[in-house]
Amino acid sequence: MLKWIQVLWPSFMVAAVAEAVFFTVVAPQELYWRGEPVHLSAIATYSIGFFGFWLACAASSLATIFLQRSAGEINRIHQASPRS
Amino acid sequence: MNSIVPQTQSAGAPQPSDDQENLYAARKKLQVRSVKGVFANWRWALVWITQIIFYGLPWLVWNDRQAVLFHLTERKFYLFGWVFWPQDVFYLTILLIICAYALFFFTAIAGRLWCGYACPQTVYTEIFMWIEEKIEGDRNARMKLDKAPMSGRKFALRGGKFGAWALFSLWTGFTFVAYFSPLQELLQAAVTFSFGPWELFWILFYGAFTYIFAGHLREQVCKYMCPYARFQGVMFDPDTLVITYDDERGEPRGARKKGSDYKAAGKGDCIDCGICVQVCPTGIDIRNGLQYECIGCAACIDACDQVMDKMAYPRGLIRYSTENAMKKHWGMRDILVHVMRPRTLIYSGILAAFCAALVWGLATRSTLRVDVIRDRATLATELADGNIENVYRLQVMNMTEGPRAFRIGVGGLDGVQIRGTERIEVAAATTQAVTLQVVVPPGSGKPGANALYFEINAEDDESVAIREESTFLMPH
Repeated sequence: MLKWIQVLWPSFMVAAVAEAVFFTVVAPQELYWRGEPVHLSAIATYSIGFFGFWLACAASSLATIFLQRSAGEINRIHQASPRS
Repeated sequence: MNSIVPQTQSAGAPQPSDDQENLYAARKKLQVRSVKGVFANWRWALVWITQIIFYGLPWLVWNDRQAVLFHLTERKFYLFGWVFWPQDVFYLTILLIICAYALFFFTAIAGRLWCGYACPQTVYTEIFMWIEEKIEGDRNARMKLDKAPMSGRKFALRGGKFGAWALFSLWTGFTFVAYFSPLQELLQAAVTFSFGPWELFWILFYGAFTYIFAGHLREQVCKYMCPYARFQGVMFDPDTLVITYDDERGEPRGARKKGSDYKAAGKGDCIDCGICVQVCPTGIDIRNGLQYECIGCAACIDACDQVMDKMAYPRGLIRYSTENAMKKHWGMRDILVHVMRPRTLIYSGILAAFCAALVWGLATRSTLRVDVIRDRATLATELADGNIENVYRLQVMNMTEGPRAFRIGVGGLDGVQIRGTERIEVAAATTQAVTLQVVVPPGSGKPGANALYFEINAEDDESVAIREESTFLMPH
């Protein structure tokens, strides 16, 4: 539960800020998707944009908690015979 | 030597190592006792005020349109008499700075006032707990129900509670979406249940958020998820009003008979009834001192005052006080004198400056905006009559809610004039693009870039005028 919160919640907050900043500057109809102008409705573009940001930020949070594991957690298989 | 350990781990909780223990404990469900009193009344007053505003605003009509609408499709924010465009993000920035400093200011004076009385998490938790109490009964009844095996009655009570929460959450989600998508269209869609897919999605998404946060997560949001809870400590100082247990007066705590001479028995005023813990929405014991979990709701003050009344002891065993006041035995007067101190003066000074900037910015905000773009495809054209022509594209934004006509003039070069359009009509709150041919006689200006300006005036209002700089290219 804690890990879920740590991954999904900070990324949610940052995604909300990123969404607001990005779409303040860029109008949805100015966007291109693989060379073609985006023809989705504005609400759909905003929504997909938000989940895109959330996904990217969540991946970053996931990488952070992955790298943050302590030596003990990584080496726990060998805890039975610790060496200095 | 250690062998290389594969990075993947089997499923299951990691075992804590010797030096780094996992401090996360599985949450114990709190059944919070409801409380009445001065501060509970304040909280309910703020629940009513904030929610009447939140649920009511989308229904308000202004200038024949929704008074407050952040229209995402049109990329315009309607706010009563104002229409804001993405270019006005400056005002939003100032507003956010004001909100931040207001939060700092109130926190420096009296701790987590926002958290205890006005934060949506607190407000919705309060509403959800009220529904819970109406359906499942008071704290004791709910704890009994928690322990009871599933039965027809328990199923009905739980179902009723979850159903009522869900309905309330859906209404909340609907209201939220009505801030971004016109309410009238949403209402029509609601009648035939023909919402756009994304509108429906966001109603359910925000509704689910409300339901989970206020119904199930509750104090965990404040303890584990709220960024403000983590840094609020830096705004505190020894003169900040916080909810304080007077342990000099209360200790040693202990049970006693009403009216007995407890002081002779060496006891303090705290009768150790534990009600301050039962009413705490975060489940802490305020008698252990200020803790970061404390959201400053003052429920324990209300509860303790009632107990003190029953025991015929003076109120205020738990009260708003400051660290200095407790140490130096100050009265209310001294506490109030110390509200004025460098920290609060700096916060309020910055706050006042930004408020003034916002008011000034809004008061002097132009209702006309023009972007001039030189046509880069054709640089300078020599016409048959020998004159030199440059082509410009003007984006004229009419930020009022009525149609407006504008006159366009040009200057900055000898003999410069516009061929064709010199008047443009722009519908209410729209942008109109116009292409202009600007002609200059040969010999005017130097070869290369020359300064040039456009002047745009509203026909109906002399004060609405803008001068936009650009350049005119003369051939070499």
